[in-house]
Amino acid sequence: MLISIDWINDFVKTPDMDPGKLGEKFTLATAEVEGILTSGAHLTKMCVAQVLEFEKHPEADKLNLVTFEITGGEKRTVVCGASNVKIGMKTPFAPIGTVLPGGFELTPKKIRGVLSEGMLCSESELGLSEESQGIMELPAKAPTGERLDKYFKETPDVLLDIDNKSLTHRPDLWGHYGMAREFSAIFKNPLKNPFDEKWQKDLERNISGGNSPVKVKFDGDSAGIGYYGLTVKNIKVGESPAWMKKRLTAIGLRPINSIVDISNYVMLELGFPNHIFDRDLIEGDEVIIKRVGEETTFITLDEEERKLVAEDTVICDSKKALVIGGLMGGLNSGVNEKTNTVFLEVANWKAAQVRRTSTRLGLRTDSSQRYEKSLDSHLMKRTLLRLLELIIKLNPDAEVIGGIEYDGKEYWKDEALVKPLSLSKINSVLGTELKSEEVKEILESLDFHVKGDDPFAITVPTYRATKDIEHPDDIIEEIGRIIGYDNIASTAPKWEMIPARLTPAQALHRKIRDYMVYHAKSFEVMTYPLVGEKLYKNASWPINDDHLLLNALSVTQNRMRPSLIPSLLEAAGLNTKNYSEFRLFELGRSYLKSKDNFQDERSQLGMVFYDHGKTPFIDLCNHVETLLQTTNIPGELVPIHPKFKNPLISEDWGGIHPFEFLNIRVMGKMVGAVLSIHPVLLRKFKIKGHVSMAILDMTNFESNRLKDKTKYKPLPKFPGSKFDCTVVLDTDRPVGDILTSMKKIKIKEMDSFKVLDIFSEGDKKNITVRASFIDPDKTLSGEFLAEAQKMIMDNLSKSGFPLKK
Amino acid sequence: MLEKLDDLFTSFEKALEEKLLQADVLNLKSEYLGKKGKVSEVLKSLKDVSLEEKKVIGPRANELKEKMNQMVAKKLSAIEIAEINEKLAKEKIDITNRESVQALGIKSGGYHPATIIQREVEDIFLSMGFDILDGPHIEDEFHNFEALNIPADHPARDMQDTFWFQKPTGENSYLLRTHTSTIQVRGMTSRKPPFKFIAPGKVFRCERTDASHEMVFHQLEGMMVGEDISVAHLTYFMKTVLKEIFKKDMEIRLRPGFFPFVEPGFELDIECQVCKGKGCSVCKKTGWVELLPCGMVHPNVLEAGGIDSEKYNGFAFGLGLDRLVMMRYGIDDIRHLHGADLRFISQFRTY
Repeated sequence: MLISIDWINDFVKTPDMDPGKLGEKFTLATAEVEGILTSGAHLTKMCVAQVLEFEKHPEADKLNLVTFEITGGEKRTVVCGASNVKIGMKTPFAPIGTVLPGGFELTPKKIRGVLSEGMLCSESELGLSEESQGIMELPAKAPTGERLDKYFKETPDVLLDIDNKSLTHRPDLWGHYGMAREFSAIFKNPLKNPFDEKWQKDLERNISGGNSPVKVKFDGDSAGIGYYGLTVKNIKVGESPAWMKKRLTAIGLRPINSIVDISNYVMLELGFPNHIFDRDLIEGDEVIIKRVGEETTFITLDEEERKLVAEDTVICDSKKALVIGGLMGGLNSGVNEKTNTVFLEVANWKAAQVRRTSTRLGLRTDSSQRYEKSLDSHLMKRTLLRLLELIIKLNPDAEVIGGIEYDGKEYWKDEALVKPLSLSKINSVLGTELKSEEVKEILESLDFHVKGDDPFAITVPTYRATKDIEHPDDIIEEIGRIIGYDNIASTAPKWEMIPARLTPAQALHRKIRDYMVYHAKSFEVMTYPLVGEKLYKNASWPINDDHLLLNALSVTQNRMRPSLIPSLLEAAGLNTKNYSEFRLFELGRSYLKSKDNFQDERSQLGMVFYDHGKTPFIDLCNHVETLLQTTNIPGELVPIHPKFKNPLISEDWGGIHPFEFLNIRVMGKMVGAVLSIHPVLLRKFKIKGHVSMAILDMTNFESNRLKDKTKYKPLPKFPGSKFDCTVVLDTDRPVGDILTSMKKIKIKEMDSFKVLDIFSEGDKKNITVRASFIDPDKTLSGEFLAEAQKMIMDNLSKSGFPLKK
Repeated sequence: MLEKLDDLFTSFEKALEEKLLQADVLNLKSEYLGKKGKVSEVLKSLKDVSLEEKKVIGPRANELKEKMNQMVAKKLSAIEIAEINEKLAKEKIDITNRESVQALGIKSGGYHPATIIQREVEDIFLSMGFDILDGPHIEDEFHNFEALNIPADHPARDMQDTFWFQKPTGENSYLLRTHTSTIQVRGMTSRKPPFKFIAPGKVFRCERTDASHEMVFHQLEGMMVGEDISVAHLTYFMKTVLKEIFKKDMEIRLRPGFFPFVEPGFELDIECQVCKGKGCSVCKKTGWVELLPCGMVHPNVLEAGGIDSEKYNGFAFGLGLDRLVMMRYGIDDIRHLHGADLRFISQFRTY
């Protein structure tokens, strides 16, 4: 929203300081000033020019080269397309460097090969009218070379561009008068009140009372709170005076006609919306405020057809709807150049309901924006009288018919909002040492009434009491911002020492990241938790609508992912283009829905190993096993089990490599898998080479502190013994089977049993295994060793692993 | 006899020089110095010489023997070293052919830049006694809005571009959290004052994306609740934390900002790091850059968290982690963060 300092000066004297500083002060105390503009700045660069001669542009028929005189006989030539150029005419000239309204900056430029030294301007280019033909013709007596701001008697105005978001909670700041109060409090200059009781009484003398031609009636419950109406005749709709047009233009509003301009002017001045009807377009002798009651359509004055629902509130005459309450008037009842009698509306509406209708219709207006903030009904009458004042000012013949009509809540009976607040509380929350007088002075400059002395009884002005100020804390903010937060010295709190540490899940995640980075030589990535159907189709992965968004931005990201795997496959596909080998991982969430919970967010680790040449499956398995040990997760890799299904990956998923798949089992549950991706699926992701992935769902155990199971044993006092033997296997038989079969033998002195060497020979392979024995209490006897070795060899051959001969 | 000994030594020296194998050296040694060696042979005739001569020849013979033994030892050791070196030469490797010169793909690892910054900030708060909390991404209206003093129809909901799973009902419709402030209520209900915690995590906004806007990004919420907490305490913590993050004293300023869940609410600006406060295009000529919203926790929020707002108060703040990441590394496009492109990520390699 733009605020004109010239306008503010009607109510309070703003200090004579650099506009930048002024804006900064306002930013620190009230609301963010996003930019500072100077209206009419272009006029200070421009001057009156007199055309001396013109000739056709050598390259373009429709362009002329116009030579003219400016100050002291100096000559300039520009390229000009206007058809109304005449020798001797006076016209405004903008030299290079001028920034015209609308932000267009004149830069040195050749037009069809001829350098133009600036521009002769039309009225519309100067922002003086909406449309214009040709360059602007100034009166012949306009002094050649005079600066345009002097010629137009324009004083430049400083405009503050205020961020609307920072006014969300301040219904009182949506007009210049309210803003002026802030300037008054910040700079400690008194605020003038031109709208006092005397002013009100003087204006009311124009209202004789009697029978009003248009009455006001509420019909049942609606979005309406209160509604004032007043009829005025002998109106001439015409152009607004220059001072009014200037102010409206300065803050970005297009002047339309004297009546519409008055309506806008009053809203921008007092912050309260209003509406002016052509009385003759109101059928019957009353306006009725009511809910629509049924679905219908309504054409608003912007010529759009709007769909209304039963709950929306409209203002109707005896036959039709005229206005959507709090939003916008209809095309059917607006003021036009023939209007003679007007009906003035100043009404208040319920914020939530205006907002609801506005959101549904996608229609945000200057009115709805203000009503949404909860306006104060006490301001209605002042607004109505200000409308009347300006109408009379511009239409001296205007005459009120009847009296002020009102229906709605008897707001004048509302009790004032009074809040108790102690000085110590103020100082405690702000961290200040303010004195009672300072607090009173600040609050009174903001129109709060302060009674008593610690605790104060603070009466909140009605226009701040609609929603803005509800708690004593809201009043503390008023004091804080006016003294300036920069004036509060930082201090450390005096607190008990309480140790803080990572939760088990956080500690686990950190350990995993450390392992993956330092040991597994992997890069951590993040993929989007939002996914689309296309990716899942491509990955042949089932997807449902459990977490489908209502208002997604695109079909590729319209739901929450049920698994990390498709996202990681996509990431793999992206990176195989650039690397022949890589490892990456993500610690992320997938999103499921359970019977009882809409959201079952799973904390998961996904790992991707890619190698162009050979399968990285074993490397990945090794890292998964080491990771489990490192993090004390009691897990192991086990083959597919007919009874215990893996909930993370369906066994029928086409992406599973037929021979490279292992489940991760933790505390008896399948909570993950290590697998290679089937080449057929890889092809769909344009991946050549080998991709192995691991997925681990940590949700069920990550919040437990996982214990380090390290147990110290004294060093052995007696020597151990080793026994190696070699067995023969078919090439495709896994070596792991030997170890599995060995688990059946129970020899307490056998410390470990491992594969020592594998040597292929034709369609067989020779496996050398090593058993280690140790007894902490004695040296192992020859008999014992012979017995143990026999047991091992017997077991091996019984299990189908014959000894090599 | 002395001449004989000297001749023997000369011939030994010559012979030793020619020997290249350990065995030949040992043979030579026994040929000269063995019991029946050449030196012993010569010394046999010692018994036939005079006492005078004996006194000269004896020590001389011992001296030569000692010298010859040393020469043998030296020669043997030289042969051994030569043999080992020859073996090493055969096993010689190319010491320039290290992983760093090989086109093998990536042999390094690294944390995501957002993780690096998040961990750094977490550690700062942890060292000051803040707990670290976590919460769901899929939230309900209560935690995202109502509990934070943003009732249905509140204009502040315009500031949140919310992704919805269900039509908003004003109470329990599900949505993607738009801020980490959702943790405030969860944190308050699970502990008793005084307490302080932070909560980093992903948040979601229904917003068209470009180089500086993402629909998924990271925030870090902070909250401290106790008796007599003040704005002065808030600025103290903010200054301390920012000093740690930026590794130098930071100029900050608070200005009024409206957030329904705090009262008073502030925007905290830091001095523009590009122009050092002089005013440039980055800071829109103001010398200040908006960094984080903060404020004193609104009494309605404390009550929603089951905390007696008469007795306790507190402060809260929200930090845009991705903003910090981008500032720290000069990243030009926020969309890289969730892009999983190793050309981007591998620039943050740890080794």
